[in-house]
Amino acid sequence: MKTFGVIAGREIWLALRNRGVVITALIFALWFPVMSAVGIAAGTDGDAAAVAGGIAAIALLVGVFMGYIFCSDAFLREKRDGTIETLLCTPVSLRRIWEGKTVGVAVPAYLVTLLSAVVTAATVSALTDVAIATEPLLYLHLAVVVPIWVVASAGFIGAAQLALGMRENQILGFVFIFGFIFLIVALQEVSPGGPGLSVMTEAVLAAAGIALVALARFIVGKVTKERIVRTIP
Amino acid sequence: MWSLPGFTAPSGEPPGPGPSPGTLRFLAWVPPARKNRWLDIPLPKTEIHDTTRSCARTGPETPRHHAIPAEAAAMNAVEVRGLSRSFEGRAVLSDVSFTVRHGEVFGYLGPNGAGKTTTIRILLGLLAPDAGVVRVLGRDLAVDDAARARVGVLFENNGLSDRMSAAANLAYYAGLYGVPDPAERIDDLLTLVGLTDRRDDLVGTFSTGMKRRLGIARAILHRPEVVFLDEPTSGLDPGAQRMVRDLILDLSRREEMTVFLNSHHLDEVQRISTSVAILAGGRIRAFDSLENLTGASDRPTVTVTLADPDDRVRACETIAGLAFVAGCDPGGSTLLHCTLADPGATPDLIAALVGAGIRIEEVRRSSRSLEEIYLEALRSAEGGGA
Repeated sequence: MKTFGVIAGREIWLALRNRGVVITALIFALWFPVMSAVGIAAGTDGDAAAVAGGIAAIALLVGVFMGYIFCSDAFLREKRDGTIETLLCTPVSLRRIWEGKTVGVAVPAYLVTLLSAVVTAATVSALTDVAIATEPLLYLHLAVVVPIWVVASAGFIGAAQLALGMRENQILGFVFIFGFIFLIVALQEVSPGGPGLSVMTEAVLAAAGIALVALARFIVGKVTKERIVRTIP
Repeated sequence: MWSLPGFTAPSGEPPGPGPSPGTLRFLAWVPPARKNRWLDIPLPKTEIHDTTRSCARTGPETPRHHAIPAEAAAMNAVEVRGLSRSFEGRAVLSDVSFTVRHGEVFGYLGPNGAGKTTTIRILLGLLAPDAGVVRVLGRDLAVDDAARARVGVLFENNGLSDRMSAAANLAYYAGLYGVPDPAERIDDLLTLVGLTDRRDDLVGTFSTGMKRRLGIARAILHRPEVVFLDEPTSGLDPGAQRMVRDLILDLSRREEMTVFLNSHHLDEVQRISTSVAILAGGRIRAFDSLENLTGASDRPTVTVTLADPDDRVRACETIAGLAFVAGCDPGGSTLLHCTLADPGATPDLIAALVGAGIRIEEVRRSSRSLEEIYLEALRSAEGGGA
């Protein structure tokens, strides 16, 4: 457990000090919600539940994208620099390395996502008179579902970045992102609660996110060190 | 497998690899503590034909067993038996075997692309062998997470983050290895590698030599019993190379570590190694203590130049029957490099050859440089010895 904390702590420390990644993340986290907030404000006619549903949907997408952005620093950089090889020679198992890195990626990604949600809510509030603070499901969504999906995004993409070569990663990075977005939309559509905030939809999203984390963890268990070493550029 | 009559492996030698087909295996007698050491230098094809015709074969090859006896595992820090590995159908390592004893500085020599780094990766469990067995401290590091805590490694990239300070890099690995009292250990190591005044500077601002020294500090941070150094002086200026060499020597003495040194720098290996293996064409071409390899030991090498090339086979047979000759390596059509078990046996060797009716042109005591041995190994690999 100690090594998990060591790895996660280092990744958080590095992520927050990577100016390029932080600036990219902040630009996306601020620009995208502001633009979306204008659309939410215009399309919901002051319906508090609809506004909260729009903010929740944006937060989830931003969370998934943040997981992808911060992943490149934790997994891909380590591979590009070749330092992953040294890490694999430590007494820490590959799965534990992945777990530490995934959480190390997810923490800053989640913090930026929360900031993005606050900005979205503030922008919508400024444009409408809707009382967003009265929607408890939005808090549940931001506190439970979003972090699960941030971890799922970081874990899944991280596992792929460990297993695949640099070129495949460049191609598949966006495929994963669009796959995640498609999955979220599809889950909301098929959920008994339907799109928007509902207990049932939140439960479906949370369960699907946990299943994705478990699947990513399973995949990492199947990735060999040889596979990682041989895909180092 | 072919061997000179009278030259047999010392009893108790673990089953090891035979020479490649068409090679003359030279089994040097070695004291029990030096067993497992051998040279495998191929002969030119025409000579192979002549020699094999005149000498008895030892019989059909027996199946090779790569199990490592417990006694050997306890004695050796690194064991490699019958290791083979290929990539996309191209053989990189073919039946490679060697051992490294505890406390040795082992020089693993070979040209670029010979498979040195592949060997290290297999030893560290990063790559899987196609065949053979490897053990480090008696363990298979591919499956034994805990055993990896007893091993240190320095790859070419040093394993450092450019965006962290020297001290933070070491602290990170100290956390992964569970180093007790890490602050004190980090201070000691930064002093050892001369980077105390740069402890809080980002590694990205360091020179290549400084990074390499910090990389060595990282590799030995957890006081490993065996440390693998992959081309530790590669890309360094002569001054930095010397610094790193001195550091390695200091480590092996002070921290009593077994050092596995991957290199293609002959000078470096000759200066700091106690034993050497030469890898070329995917095979081990020579493997022995540095002293024995270069003839600088109490078993001198005598080069006999024959007056008549036709006497060569007869000379081989005569020498094979001499107890005071530990081994014989035919170096050309008229040359025989004989390793003497008794340093004062040169007159006896001459007398035996003359007594057998062999005409001798010259007898010269010689010691070969590591460079000569290395180049000979490369030539033998190029000549189809692989």
